[in-house]
Amino acid sequence: MALLSIRELHKSYGGAPVLSGVSLDLRAGEVHALMGENGAGKSTLIRILAGVTVADRVEARLDGASLGLGTPAEADRAGFRFVHQELNIVPALSVAENIFLGHPMPRRFGAAVDWKRLNARAAEALARFGVRHIDPRAKAGRLGVGDRMLIRLASMLVGGASPARLFVLDEPTAALTHAESDRLFRVIDELARGGAAILYVSHRIDEVMALASRVTVLRDGKVALSAPTAETSRAALIRAMTGREIAEGHPPRLATPRPSVVCRLEDLSSGRLSGLRFDLRAGEVLGVVGLDNAGQSDLLRLLLGEGAPAGGRAEVAGRSLPRSPAEAWRRGIAYVPRERRKEGLMSGRTITANTVLPHLSRLSRHGLARPRREAAEARRVAERLRLRFQHLSQPVRTLSGGNQQKVVLGRATLATPRLLLLEEPTRGVDVGARQDIYAALRGLAAEGCAIVLASTDLPEVLGLADRILILRDGRQAAIVGAAGLDPSSLLALIYGDEEPVPAS
Amino acid sequence: MTLLRRYATLIGFAAILLFFAISLPDTFLTSQNLINISQQVSMLAVVAFAMTVVMAMGDFDLSVGSMASLSGVVAATLFVAGWSVPAGIAAALAVGLLGGLFNGLLVAGLGILPFVATLGTLTMFSGIAFTISDGRTIFGRDIPEGFGTFARDALELGSLRIPSLTLVALAVLAVVWFVLEHTSYGRRLYAIGGNMEAARLAGVNVRRLRASAFAITGLGAAGAGLMVASRVASANPTQGAGLMLDAIAAVFLGMTMSEEAEPRVLATLVGVLILAVLDNGLTQLAVDSYVREILVGGIILAAVASARIGLGRG
Repeated sequence: MALLSIRELHKSYGGAPVLSGVSLDLRAGEVHALMGENGAGKSTLIRILAGVTVADRVEARLDGASLGLGTPAEADRAGFRFVHQELNIVPALSVAENIFLGHPMPRRFGAAVDWKRLNARAAEALARFGVRHIDPRAKAGRLGVGDRMLIRLASMLVGGASPARLFVLDEPTAALTHAESDRLFRVIDELARGGAAILYVSHRIDEVMALASRVTVLRDGKVALSAPTAETSRAALIRAMTGREIAEGHPPRLATPRPSVVCRLEDLSSGRLSGLRFDLRAGEVLGVVGLDNAGQSDLLRLLLGEGAPAGGRAEVAGRSLPRSPAEAWRRGIAYVPRERRKEGLMSGRTITANTVLPHLSRLSRHGLARPRREAAEARRVAERLRLRFQHLSQPVRTLSGGNQQKVVLGRATLATPRLLLLEEPTRGVDVGARQDIYAALRGLAAEGCAIVLASTDLPEVLGLADRILILRDGRQAAIVGAAGLDPSSLLALIYGDEEPVPAS
Repeated sequence: MTLLRRYATLIGFAAILLFFAISLPDTFLTSQNLINISQQVSMLAVVAFAMTVVMAMGDFDLSVGSMASLSGVVAATLFVAGWSVPAGIAAALAVGLLGGLFNGLLVAGLGILPFVATLGTLTMFSGIAFTISDGRTIFGRDIPEGFGTFARDALELGSLRIPSLTLVALAVLAVVWFVLEHTSYGRRLYAIGGNMEAARLAGVNVRRLRASAFAITGLGAAGAGLMVASRVASANPTQGAGLMLDAIAAVFLGMTMSEEAEPRVLATLVGVLILAVLDNGLTQLAVDSYVREILVGGIILAAVASARIGLGRG
């Protein structure tokens, strides 16, 4: 019997149905994946489970008994726990304090915090799902995103009105590296084995196939597919999500790289980066991979003009490294940052304002803004990237994640850059939007734009890159041709298990 | 709900106008009174417009009041030393520009929080004003004729006399509106206000822009200080002190009219007018000035609160 059974879930906003007649059965001890394109209704479904949004109509049963879903308190009493992409932790407090944040702390004499017991119980909570590498006394701000997620999970085990029975994880691996993701998967397994039900929301088909035993796909607010993962296939999932056949994978190259070198590093070092040595030609795509925080961001930020070289030589677009992002953009070096919301978007500002920002000087006349020209340019890139929007003056926060990412990419490619720096360009982006982004990158390469692509999505790097640079602790470990590599052999290179054959 | 949020402030303004029009049928809605209001509020308006420039970037400047006092004192002191009116004015404005630039360098160059940096310069500017003037009011024959009469001059338009201070405020409004709404510079300021890190990574020279915006605000504050000094034909080291809180309040009132809570200078104008009308009407009704402060504070809070309601996620 299902732990939680949802029938006839209906919800509409202002007459537009967002969910219509959705059913979902979650069983104890089972990982159930929830998939769907951006806007398919996943987020609404989760908000209804959390009691943040109230359904128009729903029949919910917990252990066969009728369950009211309406307030966060009810969801908490039912034992539902939620991990969102945006992690709220207090960086200045210790891990243990964060775990007990909002829950009663162990005390002595009724008032003073019993630090010894607090740390012990925090360590115990982490150990319940096999995590022993985090010190409860460490400052939470020092932890990476993956470990922050683990302390959020631990926090859910120590508190709440009743024991945790259902964990809802909303794209938990979107911001994680391979190692962090692997660790999270083990934790999820451990939680399921302990008898909890897991609802796992993800865009990543590979993860879903590996982790979940059942999968439900939403499309346009209806269940498009619900089946055991063993009885379905990647193709079937994509068809269910998009409603059409999408040639999954990566569009073919439109042209071969040109002879002219856009970027040349000769034994460059800076900060924690060292031994960087490569030529990047116009129209070439260089993938950058490594373990978590191996220096991918540092390399891209260095090319963007942040940080000074300590040794070696660098030549970018015929000159030395830019000294600031402002200079970089002026010289045709464009950047798509890793954290879309924190580093990419002015979320309250319009699509146009976000798109044209780095190009204002070119689009204005003697400093005088020309709104019609700005809008025309924004519309041109929006259409090229197949952005889904109502009007150009809507704030970008009203767009779905995939479309927000298209705005950031549109900003970088409004004028074809000479060098395009990309970090995780398809994180949290659905299959359809992802294909649009890949097609745009191919088009840019064909126009002679050199691309540096740092990504933790290995199939993506293998599908797009001509050559792949492997970083280990900030050091250039290898540079290899992408042809003939598969994800597992690339992963072996990343972990340093085998020595690569140098690419010519 | 959205409508209420968006227009609550305007509706409130209309209600206030209506209230005074009914309670003061003979004196409130007369052209003479409205012109008086425009003159009374012109100094605050200039400071508030200048404040909008830094607030567009999400910063603010607490030192505008003491900068206004300082500029008045500097001009008056130079007049005493025999400088001509234009030279004195230019010097006072230069002090405003440099003082504002100093704020900007503290904030953008050293990375000090605007609140802390401008709290520091607020005290400094005030201290300098006291030092220069020796704590005295400079007035009487020391102030040149031309400087003191400027504030009493007016542009005759038929039977209407538009006071020169009102015209100055309108000119400042036009310039700030043009810069914020119609130049690349203004768009970049709003981008910084939207997300400073994202703006920087998108090639906006955040440091230079922040420094320059603070310089503009300092210049505006100095200009307002000269207007105050001209109006009372004297200068003392505390006469601009009241401007800062009212200016910030006016910008906040204006921000409640924008869906994304962005400071826009035309909305700031509405904020300024609300404060001015309240002050004028309550004075005419002979409401005690302390009670007036309670009312004005309450209205600011009500406006901001009504803008928060329905924002939900806040």
